[in-house]
Amino acid sequence: MLVQAIIKRILISFVTLLVVSIIIFIGTSLLPGDVANIILGQMATPESLAALREHLGLDQPPHVRYFMWLGNLFTGDLGMSKAGSGIGTVGTEISVMIVPRLVNTLRLAGMVAVISIPLAMSLGLLASMYPGSRIDRAITFTTLSIISVPDFLVAMILVMILAVQLGWLPSIAYLSGSETGWQLIRALLMPTLTLVTIVSAQIIRMTRATILNIMSSPYIEMAILKGVNRKRIIMRHALLNTVGPIVNVIALNMAWLIGGVVIVETVFAYPGLAKLMIDGVQTRDLPLVQACAMIFCATYVILLMIADMASIISNPRLRHPK
Amino acid sequence: MKEDKNLQQMKDIKSLQQMHADGRINRRDFMKAVGALGITISVAGSLLKATEAMAKTPRKGGSVRMASNLHGPDDQMDPIVMTSNIDYTRAHTAYNGLVQMRENMQLKPELAEEFTPNSDATVWTFKLQKGVKFHDGSNFSADDVIWSMNRHLGEKTPSVIKGFFSQVKEWKKIDSHTVKAILNSPDSDLPAKLSEKQAKIVKQGTTDFKKGNGTGPYRVTSFEPGTKSLHVRNEDYWRETANFDAIEITAITDPQARVNALIAGDMHLISDVDAKMIKLIESSNGVHINSTKSGRYGGICCLKNTAPGKNDDLVKGFQYIQDRERIVRSILKGNGEVGNDHPISTAYGADHCYELPVRQYDPDKAKWHLNRSGYSSAELYVAEVATGIGDSCLLMQNNLSKIGFDLKIKKVPTDGYWGAVWMKEPLNVVSWNMRPTANSMLDIQFGPGRAWNDTFWNNERMGQLLKMNLAETDPKMRHEMFCEMQALINMFSGMVVAYHTNVNDGVSDKIQGIPVNPLGSIGGCTWPEFAWMEA
Amino acid sequence: MSQEENTIEEETAFQELPDAPPRRKIRFTISGKIGIFFVLFWIMMVLIGPYVAPYNEADFLDESLFIVPGGDEYPDTDYQPPSKVAYLGTDYLGRDTLSRILYGARTTIGISFVATLLAYLLGVTLGIAAAVGSEWLDMSLSRFNDAFLSIPTIMMGLVVIAAVGSTIPILIVMTGFIYATSVFRVARSLGQDVMVSDFVEAAKVRGEGLWWIITREILPNVVMPLATDFGLRFVWIILFISSLSFLGLGVQPPMSDWGSMVKENLGGLPYGSIAPLMPSLAIATLTISINLIVDDISAHSGGKLSNRMI
Repeated sequence: MLVQAIIKRILISFVTLLVVSIIIFIGTSLLPGDVANIILGQMATPESLAALREHLGLDQPPHVRYFMWLGNLFTGDLGMSKAGSGIGTVGTEISVMIVPRLVNTLRLAGMVAVISIPLAMSLGLLASMYPGSRIDRAITFTTLSIISVPDFLVAMILVMILAVQLGWLPSIAYLSGSETGWQLIRALLMPTLTLVTIVSAQIIRMTRATILNIMSSPYIEMAILKGVNRKRIIMRHALLNTVGPIVNVIALNMAWLIGGVVIVETVFAYPGLAKLMIDGVQTRDLPLVQACAMIFCATYVILLMIADMASIISNPRLRHPK
Repeated sequence: MKEDKNLQQMKDIKSLQQMHADGRINRRDFMKAVGALGITISVAGSLLKATEAMAKTPRKGGSVRMASNLHGPDDQMDPIVMTSNIDYTRAHTAYNGLVQMRENMQLKPELAEEFTPNSDATVWTFKLQKGVKFHDGSNFSADDVIWSMNRHLGEKTPSVIKGFFSQVKEWKKIDSHTVKAILNSPDSDLPAKLSEKQAKIVKQGTTDFKKGNGTGPYRVTSFEPGTKSLHVRNEDYWRETANFDAIEITAITDPQARVNALIAGDMHLISDVDAKMIKLIESSNGVHINSTKSGRYGGICCLKNTAPGKNDDLVKGFQYIQDRERIVRSILKGNGEVGNDHPISTAYGADHCYELPVRQYDPDKAKWHLNRSGYSSAELYVAEVATGIGDSCLLMQNNLSKIGFDLKIKKVPTDGYWGAVWMKEPLNVVSWNMRPTANSMLDIQFGPGRAWNDTFWNNERMGQLLKMNLAETDPKMRHEMFCEMQALINMFSGMVVAYHTNVNDGVSDKIQGIPVNPLGSIGGCTWPEFAWMEA
Repeated sequence: MSQEENTIEEETAFQELPDAPPRRKIRFTISGKIGIFFVLFWIMMVLIGPYVAPYNEADFLDESLFIVPGGDEYPDTDYQPPSKVAYLGTDYLGRDTLSRILYGARTTIGISFVATLLAYLLGVTLGIAAAVGSEWLDMSLSRFNDAFLSIPTIMMGLVVIAAVGSTIPILIVMTGFIYATSVFRVARSLGQDVMVSDFVEAAKVRGEGLWWIITREILPNVVMPLATDFGLRFVWIILFISSLSFLGLGVQPPMSDWGSMVKENLGGLPYGSIAPLMPSLAIATLTISINLIVDDISAHSGGKLSNRMI
């Protein structure tokens, strides 16, 4: 039964990704103007545009391009970036553009995850152990305030204080490519701090809510009535049952760290994948946009699949759906 | 009496300059003291620069980081399609041109050691430098020039400056180090046009421009479009080698983040400082603003071939409602000058028409004209293509609403703007960088029938004047012609130019010797070869 | 939330018919009450904001207003501190911050609210349809929904705006659509839970029609959790629209919305201007208040659906 449920889940993910590919392809095709417009900019003429379009192969019908793209995708070939091309010159391979950006994105997401997951879960646990206490109220109000203001404000205030006023940390997360160890961590510290603040606030709230939720369920109430110590209840009985929902929240946050941190990447000039996709949209470099979007969606789908599997495994009832 | 005062001021400045050169007073004190003498900040800045150049000699070494304002996957190393400051900066590291625009808009020979016109400027002869090598070790010769120049010719070329060369009939090789440009009509501005970044010389037959195989002062070691590029000094450069050991070029698109990066010391040079952040840089330690008067402007195009722009009264109304002084004061924070509804600012020197009175803010006249036009509302397309353009349009909208005219602003993204909106929507905004000569500026934007005549205002007299002006050598006559052209545009075209912006860049105090050149950011993007870093 | 704050307004169960669900009165804590106060305040401002604002949102304040005796003839008007002329100071163009916040309440709250409504209309309809409909319908709706859900919201917003421009109707429809995907998930799973409950089984056995089951059994049982979810979703939509504004894709100028006000005045932060902080404060008071109310409501209604269904 368990294996069957997992296989079903994998199949579902696969179908979802196929649908995603169609949506992305259609969506990006709707963008007005094309890469030739962008390359030539203000100084384009109809003749030079036509010549450049022909050179870039932009004159094929969309469905032909879709199937060619999908076919190449399966073989791992992401194609060529159009934007860097001129007449008599070819663009960069998209994989070459994406790999360093993806590494950067994963680095940042990794650092944020390593700090925020244990931090947030323990704070969430702490708050839920003493609901209504001063510490709970402090945690609740702080996290509430953080998730209630725009993330760019959080970023800007941190920069103002830590980089511009105190000069402790660099104001941008610029990477020369030669950084190692401590240098690398230092360069990433500002965006990491910003994202840890935001992500932790989300996870803390969810952890607290989930545990309190389970605390009000009949079997826990039973345990309370039996006079079992509250801490013991949480540790022994409640925690295992919170795995499903909490893993889900963590997965959503990790997916967000891969694809949704455009603003933090912009504020800190961090060369991550989300910014690359935005640049791709702005330059109408469709193969690049499609490749980035597929990576984001695949990350999301896969992470959620893993989260679902974790909850299937941790909760026997889900293994046998009615 | 007034003479005396000026004389005294001059003396004071001299002594202050000396004190600064000797290191007795620092940069901020110098600026403060000069300011107290009643001198504007940008002038004081150039005084300071002159002082410092006087005091110091270039030093070799150091690695410099520069952040431009824009980049993306469309960053180019192919000169003919370059359109942004980051591309231009890279062009100046990797390549050379035939001719070079140096300090204060002086034309100097570069790969062409000599350039001479025939008597009526219809044939130009270029004698080329000998012993010049490309980065890959191959020799530079006339063939490379012919190949590079031919890429700008023909209808189908994507060259963004092909309009500059529409009068060129052919490029002819005379011998291995001599070429001739044969023209259909006289062009005394040809060398100036050849100094443009897009006219840099590349190796004959190049297909992969990403390597940046030129003859320039730095070699490209890595080029990642939309991320960064690395350059190291070309030790085999054909003239005095450049000063920096290495250069890193990147962009930080968020204006606030860019300024933060300069102040925090993460970058040595940043381009395009937002007017509102100038004060912040000026009040920070170790960094300063490099402000250069320029012909750059953001304006409003009213298309003359369609409603409502073809209505002269509507255009007049829009011109009279411009509170030019306030735009320069409040929006540009003094880092610019008022425009007079034509593109030639005072930065073009003698070619600017001082005789033409500047149109003043006059809501009554505006109201009268707008009433007469019969329009009570209009829609203007705005993208942030130029410094201050969005804000000045908001001011215009607010002032128009006070006289009962409803201007709707349709804000559109910058990307795709040039293809989808500019020269298409009846009322739109435009930005133009300064061009090397007044004639090339006027010709590209107002030459009748030109591809980028963005108000579709085709004036026969304008065309005649542009042609005559190119063949004219008498400075007085040239000035008169320029004046007539500026007056024509001011009175009859569909162009609203309320202001010109300075080029404002942020510079670390360690970086010295940035050339004064208003054609682009940070010394017209020519800093890599000439600037240096103090220890 | 805190237990000791509970006011005791006991249920009046005896007044009700024996088989009706017990009517419960929500007891708000102090923080909940503060939340209600601010939410009511902002609702008020949506209605009357523009009439009580000292200036128009588009007005560049005249330089003459800022002249101090013996001072400059043309004083700066931008980033001015609070004064009699502008109670909350001025923004980067010398416009009155207070007026722009008051006008902005209408745009920010209006757009977000309508977008949230739209998200609910779409999400709940399709979500319930997926829950009660055939397996095939559920499967296809869910896969499409997952696909849309997997695209980062901000990227989706960016592409849509780049494709069709940013006007208020487009902002609303787009945001509503993007957030409908997550509402769909919630509504579907709530609906499914109810569908497998014993009382629905019983109704089916009784031979009740699908429509009867939806309106009498499912909807009443999902209303409460959806209402709390509505509050949170509304907050996210406000922040989402602010993020779009940050990337330069918000409402059309000179209209003010709080997100773009923060963005356009960020440059004042290093000068110690409060211009970027005031609109942030407006956003925060509203979003925190909504969250506080939601906290109270969900604390009241207990966590688990099954609890409420007894």
